[in-house]
Amino acid sequence: MSALVVTDLHAGYGDARVLHGVSLSVGEGEVCAILGPNGAGKTTLLRALSGMVRTRGTVRLGDADLAGRSPDTIARQGVAHVPEGRGTFMPLTVEENLRLGAYVRPASRRARAEVDADLERIHGYFPVLKTRLRQAAGSLSGGEQQMLAIGRALMLRPRLLLLDEPSLGLAPLVTRELFRIVRTINEQERTTVVVVEQNAHLALGIAQQAHVLETGRIVLSGTAEQIRADEQVAQSYLGYRV
Amino acid sequence: MTGFLQQLVQGLGAGAIYASLALALVLIYQFTGIVNFAQGELAMFSTYLAWQFTAAGMPFWLALALTLAVSFAGGMLIERLVIRPVEGAPELTVVIVTVGLFIFVNAAAGWIWTFLIKDFPNPFPGGALEAGGLRVSYSTLGVLVVVGLVMGLLYLLFQHTRIGLGMRAVATNPDSARLVGIRVGWTLALGWGLAATVGAVSGVLVAPLLFLEPNMMGGVLIYAFAAATLGGFDSPVGAVVGGLIVGVAETLAGAYVGFIGSDLKVGVPLVIILGVLLLRPQGLFGRAAVERA
Repeated sequence: MSALVVTDLHAGYGDARVLHGVSLSVGEGEVCAILGPNGAGKTTLLRALSGMVRTRGTVRLGDADLAGRSPDTIARQGVAHVPEGRGTFMPLTVEENLRLGAYVRPASRRARAEVDADLERIHGYFPVLKTRLRQAAGSLSGGEQQMLAIGRALMLRPRLLLLDEPSLGLAPLVTRELFRIVRTINEQERTTVVVVEQNAHLALGIAQQAHVLETGRIVLSGTAEQIRADEQVAQSYLGYRV
Repeated sequence: MTGFLQQLVQGLGAGAIYASLALALVLIYQFTGIVNFAQGELAMFSTYLAWQFTAAGMPFWLALALTLAVSFAGGMLIERLVIRPVEGAPELTVVIVTVGLFIFVNAAAGWIWTFLIKDFPNPFPGGALEAGGLRVSYSTLGVLVVVGLVMGLLYLLFQHTRIGLGMRAVATNPDSARLVGIRVGWTLALGWGLAATVGAVSGVLVAPLLFLEPNMMGGVLIYAFAAATLGGFDSPVGAVVGGLIVGVAETLAGAYVGFIGSDLKVGVPLVIILGVLLLRPQGLFGRAAVERA
């Protein structure tokens, strides 16, 4: 069963149209990778899903139609977006950043206990964050901030997790570690994930299916294996021939 | 020595009032990046409301509570109706809007209550506390206590409540705040409401010391600007410290620097503003804006 169904999605900024009718669906608990060159509209696609840009078309998450809703409403529907640039609340502490992720969850005593438990769980995924809880988030390294951003997103207990270029600006070793954790999270929490990534090799490593976006249109779709085997993709994004 | 301490305490009393209006300025600046030139006039209007309520026979503290509630709602309403339409417009546009608001509120107060001065009841008893030759009037003490209380409440709100955390999130990264589900528009309105409430406190505190009239906050606003500039426009703590320093500096300069006296001491905040902008533009507690080349 599909968790996310996007149909004929158009989006843009002012007069500049960026997405021209994107359709895709992602199965419950699956990871979907969006590949493509710079300027293809990958980030805009994620921003359209989380309501950060004006859109036309439909975005169904379970029974809810998200298209045209405001970002805070979409977040309340269980969509967590780790934006390009990580969206860190720099002067706030690491713990405050994480707790903000749970901002829309109810404030009852039981719910608060659950939030505390989730905080512990996230320390399990990212032990480094636990040692820096009282530190200003802006003092973290790039890799740590990316972990914080993913941790913050998980605090929502999302039904859909949107990851925008998690590898951006990170050392290769850190990036590999990060993708390993994302895979673990996906396996343990059954969270549906849409990940936009320049590093196609890593993204295809954790995804079940993938789409290649070029100038605002999907030009190729398939399972991760099919996309990896595609000669054109291999040349353009993987840097080697099959 | 006693004379000096006497001046110091008096300066702190004045400074506490500047601090509360500076705090209102900083609250709005933090959330919206807007310097609200109308902040003093809003405080003045609130003070007239308090006067109207007491004139209608309401006990002072009840009138105050009602005034603060109305100011809060009024601040939110102004954000929704006047500021919202120019959100994201160039800075100059927003500045002009707040200056327009200044003129409008000032004129409206004059139209409703006339420009004749009115006596505003002093909520604190007359007389003074005397200790070791030092006389501290109950009025000064009362001002310090009330402003201290306001600071304490704001601190609790920002540091220990969910709404406060959300407000700080919006102040630091509005886009990211939207993504975690915070209703940013309402949070900004909330910030304006809070600022109007804090400003109202400063108006009600200053009115018994001056007279109630539509232009009474003009001078106080300049001191508050000096305080916020000195402390750093993005730092609530800075606003308070800045306010106290400005109050003390003004009082001491008036008392001890011969050629300044009580006539020229209004020049003190302007000297402070100029000095801070030249030497440390981000203020004592503010963060310097750093941009990569």
